[in-house]
Amino acid sequence: MSTAATTRSQTRIVGAPVPRKEGIDKLVGRAQYVDDLTREGMFYGATVRSTIPRGLIRSIAFDPHIAWCDFTIVTAKDIPGKNHIQLIVADQPCLAETQVNHCDEPILLLAHPDKHKLLAAVAAVHIEYDPLPAVFSIEESESQKEIILGEDNLIKSFLLEKGDVDSAWARAAHIVEGEYRTGPQEHLYIENNGMIAEWSAEDGITVWGSLQCPYYVHKTLRAVFDLPDEKVRVIQTETGGAFGGKEDYPSVLASHAGLLAMKSGHAVKMVYDRMEDLAATTKRHPSRIRHRTALDADGKLLAMEIDLATDGGAYSTLSATVLSRATLHACGPYVCPNIRLRSRAWATNHVPYGAFRGFGAPQAIFAMERHMDAIAAALHIDPPIDPVELRRRNFLHQGDRNATDQLMREPVILDQLLDRALAESDYHAKRARYARENLASPVKRGMGIAAFYHGSGFTGSGELYLNSLAGVDVTPDEKVRVLVSNTEFGQGTNTILTQIAAEALGLEFSDVTMVPPDTAHIPNSGPTVASRTGMVVGRIIERACLQLLALLRESAGLQEKSTREQFFAACRRFRAAHGKVESLCYYEAPPGIHWDDATYHGEAYGAYAWAVYVAQVAVDTVTYSAEVEDFWAVQEVGRVLHPVLATGQIEGGVAQAIGYALYEKVVLENGRMANNQMTNYIMPTAEDVPPIHVVFEEIPFRYGGYGAKGIGELPHDGPAPAILNAIRDATGVPFNAIPLLPEDLFATLAAREHPENLWEPVAS
Amino acid sequence: MRGDPEAHELIAPGNLAAVLQLLAAEPGAWTPIAGGTELMVAHAAGRLTARKLVSLWEIPDLRFIRVDEGTIAIGAGVPFIDLRRNAAIAAQLPLLARAASWLGSIANQSRATLGGNLVNGSPAADSSPALLAYDAQVELISARGRRTLPYEKFHTGYKRTALAPDELLLAVHLPRRFARHRQYLRKVGTRRAMAIAKVALAGTALVEENVVRELRLGAASVAPYPTRLYRTEEAILGNSITEETIRTARRALLAEIAPIDDIRSVAEYRRRVAANLVEEFLRELMHSAAPVDAPLMNAALAAWNSADESTALTQMLACCGARRWASAMVAMRPVQDQEALLAVADRIWAAMEEPDWREAFACHPRIGERKAAHASAPPSAQKSAQWSRQEQSGAAQAEARVLEELARGNAQYEERFGFTYIVCATGKSAEEMLDLLNRRLGSDRATELREAAEQQRQITEIRLRKWMAA
Amino acid sequence: MSTRWDSIRFTVNGQPRTVHAPPMKRLLDVLREDLHLTGTKEGCGEGECGSCSVRMNGELVNSCLVPVLQAEGAQIQTVEGLAPDLDSGGALHPLQEAFLHCGGAQCGICTPGMLMAAAQLIERHPHPSQAEIREGLAGNLCRCTGFARIFASVVAAATHAAPEQEPDAR
Repeated sequence: MSTAATTRSQTRIVGAPVPRKEGIDKLVGRAQYVDDLTREGMFYGATVRSTIPRGLIRSIAFDPHIAWCDFTIVTAKDIPGKNHIQLIVADQPCLAETQVNHCDEPILLLAHPDKHKLLAAVAAVHIEYDPLPAVFSIEESESQKEIILGEDNLIKSFLLEKGDVDSAWARAAHIVEGEYRTGPQEHLYIENNGMIAEWSAEDGITVWGSLQCPYYVHKTLRAVFDLPDEKVRVIQTETGGAFGGKEDYPSVLASHAGLLAMKSGHAVKMVYDRMEDLAATTKRHPSRIRHRTALDADGKLLAMEIDLATDGGAYSTLSATVLSRATLHACGPYVCPNIRLRSRAWATNHVPYGAFRGFGAPQAIFAMERHMDAIAAALHIDPPIDPVELRRRNFLHQGDRNATDQLMREPVILDQLLDRALAESDYHAKRARYARENLASPVKRGMGIAAFYHGSGFTGSGELYLNSLAGVDVTPDEKVRVLVSNTEFGQGTNTILTQIAAEALGLEFSDVTMVPPDTAHIPNSGPTVASRTGMVVGRIIERACLQLLALLRESAGLQEKSTREQFFAACRRFRAAHGKVESLCYYEAPPGIHWDDATYHGEAYGAYAWAVYVAQVAVDTVTYSAEVEDFWAVQEVGRVLHPVLATGQIEGGVAQAIGYALYEKVVLENGRMANNQMTNYIMPTAEDVPPIHVVFEEIPFRYGGYGAKGIGELPHDGPAPAILNAIRDATGVPFNAIPLLPEDLFATLAAREHPENLWEPVAS
Repeated sequence: MRGDPEAHELIAPGNLAAVLQLLAAEPGAWTPIAGGTELMVAHAAGRLTARKLVSLWEIPDLRFIRVDEGTIAIGAGVPFIDLRRNAAIAAQLPLLARAASWLGSIANQSRATLGGNLVNGSPAADSSPALLAYDAQVELISARGRRTLPYEKFHTGYKRTALAPDELLLAVHLPRRFARHRQYLRKVGTRRAMAIAKVALAGTALVEENVVRELRLGAASVAPYPTRLYRTEEAILGNSITEETIRTARRALLAEIAPIDDIRSVAEYRRRVAANLVEEFLRELMHSAAPVDAPLMNAALAAWNSADESTALTQMLACCGARRWASAMVAMRPVQDQEALLAVADRIWAAMEEPDWREAFACHPRIGERKAAHASAPPSAQKSAQWSRQEQSGAAQAEARVLEELARGNAQYEERFGFTYIVCATGKSAEEMLDLLNRRLGSDRATELREAAEQQRQITEIRLRKWMAA
Repeated sequence: MSTRWDSIRFTVNGQPRTVHAPPMKRLLDVLREDLHLTGTKEGCGEGECGSCSVRMNGELVNSCLVPVLQAEGAQIQTVEGLAPDLDSGGALHPLQEAFLHCGGAQCGICTPGMLMAAAQLIERHPHPSQAEIREGLAGNLCRCTGFARIFASVVAAATHAAPEQEPDAR
């Protein structure tokens, strides 16, 4: 074997189903999650939270039956630095001081050496409020009758304009309008949020926890504790699922655990139980999206006017960036010359909504793809046009420009993906068959489709601002180590980055390890979000490896063709001369990326992943329940770095999105999650998830790690609209809101049944 | 974990008498805990109010399933996993077996007990509709003695029961008289598994000449506690099933039930779905209500019903060589008629597992071979061998080439799957059987195993019919 | 209020163990805190997610719902007991091997419980059908995989590892 013997397209390790890097530890119970760790003399922390959605804190009283002297008590007054969480706008307090703006908002923290003493103590802190009127919906917020945030309740708004929408209506052969709504969704990672903190005057603060973005937490801790960089250390423990739910919230929990640690002088562990995690942490933003669309006589899109609104919750957190991604995905993978899209994130007195796989795109794509079916149903064109044909007629192709006027430079194979999805699912034959069979059966079946794209990496100039730094080093015991701040939480970061490094250096998979994610030892290669790890960070690692080889050739005598032993020998020579063997690179943007934040025009993303999904559903008219019976996911995601992991990402995302569409409802009562238990927040089980057929078409992307584009978020975008389109096909009834539970289907379907069934007894 | 383990006392006296003594000494002070699937949830949430708990887990006097002449008695401490696995329950109380398999998950079924499910008093209890439809009696025990009451009188209000503070639920008694009844059970939850019933309905009905002679309907989640639907039953009883009966039944039901809005569903949905379920059951009755001849007991069946156990066993083993199946069949006696026998046979077969299937397969000669697979076959297999010859007569007339190919295929099949190729041969030519063999060679093992089990079921059915006709 | 602590004896992964604990302490907490067997996870505390699944006397149970007193005398197997000789060079359990190669574990938090449920399933059904696999694992929630790779792992383990027992000779 020789170094760099492979080309970029003919690889040994990239594209091979190597075993997951940390797999064995997870399988034998050795992997250490935060709750598996203890520190000497460790205390346990708990949070006292608001019980009302909005109000002024009048008084806090401590019930005398508790021995408070045994507890560490932290309030906002104990915060040495700034009392806020550092995200986009610093409006969210770490601990509420004078006013609360949502239920379950943290006000006060307690720690005690015996965790069983905490429940009673939390209940014995009596807080009195002067309640203020609260806002619980987009409509109430936009009415501005009660101003709860800033001057107008508006967290963020965008206007995206292209062409001339106003003059298009007059020319239109058809105009179709629709309103679409999506509900909140809980991540339901199986490991709840958790953090352990330790504090000392010399070393500052150290936290260990379940998290996605070590440097986000680092930034907040620096501000809350008013400490310099080197006195804040963030270590990621094995993380049991995240899906965006551990992007922003860990900054809150790390601050809390840290404050208790600082005041108590002990290490403090805070691990939420399921009820607290569900009630108090972030969820997916609910949305309301209105479409008005003009089409010409051939069913081609002439103009789109879109009004997109999200509920951001009580503080701005990440709502602006979620809104941005929603905006940039709202027009679908279609050519439309005239667009006006106004998007707004509104404040309400709900727990702040946050990052969740897809980050606004699933909401926007649900609306667009349901709307495409609504258009197909409304058009009276001869010959008739079905949902498939309508999409085909409007698809983007290479050389076209999308909503932000981004030129599609790379190949776009939507037609091919569509053909494959139709063939794999036997879409047309099944539709025809179900149309016949449904007449006589109490179970109505249908087929639905969704076509979409998902932008990989940070939006617009985001990656340039991030300026990620990543690389590899070689240890004296001949291990190559990948140096990144990107974390593993199931998606496969460890494995794919190891594959890339091993491939680029011509080594074995086992020669490469990951440096444990600890801000004391890793560079900031950006957050682990936005489907950016494989494409963006993977590319930096690939470049850093090539740079290392060049360095070794230049100054350590490494030959062009060399063995593994010669590689490590060169490393030894290099180390002897220079002290260490390390190669780091900064992010380098693909050429031709221009983005204008002011006008929302330009290259919104470096690359897009493309997909066509098909759902087969059965609606039981006895129980009004809809089930997905079969599912096809056909996508082009650039190079597939690891076939098993990639398939797992798609299957997992589809399953989570089936939950989003048909099962998972956050019941909000007076702004509080009322069903904050796994018994009552219903995610699909092994018996509910259908077979999921995953097909990849691969077109390597030049500027992604070994040709990869983003993959993690894509599968959450398409299932919900495909499923609701299938339900429309099965029942003839358009449903435009998710989650669509049996009770919701009932409300509409039952009204169409035989009037005899409507008979109700007279009250006696 | 919000609860404090040290705030609760738990003792495990290990026998029923000691528990009853404890309850008698301090009535109401002790809360019994069996599998803990309810109380431990409250404990973790910091909501467990009981301070003194006494364990009923694995008390032998509470963990039994006894098949008596007229009833099956089930101890209150029997976990649902035992209900699922019990062949007698599978055969005679299939609704209860099915309800048990729908309760939570396997891990919940291994701990949750029948008694706990009832005493907990949830309106959504999984076992309740079936028990109501089967006309169950509950037996209560205290240091003062025992008493029995109809299960439908056990629940007295939301989460309230007829139990006195010193009493325990001892057992549930179910009559063994539903073999000829049409039976129905449907649980409606938001997902397929791990669901709490938003509505559930169980029904047993005896339909003669298209007239409903006997009917019991039990429902969950439509009232403050699981309930018999007497008024709905009345509206149907004595009528033939027509569209008008269905309409009347729906009306009666809607007037009878009073579901609520809660975090899991809404009353209106529950009302409509409950009515839909009653209608679904009635339509099944309508479609299956072909006139049944007055059952004159079949002679072979009558002899078998009264035969000694070993004779009865031998006769069953000739029909199907799985010993667990045959013993369960024998335990089911007396069986009234042919239809009941076939139904019981199917249900028991459905409760069998791989070792039983393979035991049955191994009793057949290979297709195309003239001698039995096991030369040392017991006497009970002589009848089996004779039937095999009749069944495989298609192969007897086959050409040598086909027989050779069959032999090759058989060997390949056994190599691939580890058991003999089995096919319901009656009426099939050697060529057809060879075709099927080749097709089935392409299946995966799990699929093929089930296919073979289904073939065995068909063979058993044909043999049982022949046996009764003899 | 403070209750009496009990000495409770049971066998964990073949080793006899005695713990001194409040009788209402959850088996889950005893395993994790007293015996430092942290492979068994807590996901919900209400028997819903199955992350805490262990086998007790040959049956699958949610250890978060078992008061430790009821484990007195029991045989308990946790994920650490699936491949007991791993540290001395022994092999992974066939299920662990299959999960590793088929992508049955992603974030890993449901994995220990899922493996125990799968082990229970394979013991009852050495060649499980898809329906049996789905039912056997329905009490173990996985949010990462959509279950498909887990089903594939169980099939692979059953295909490669299930002993081909011949039925008893007659």
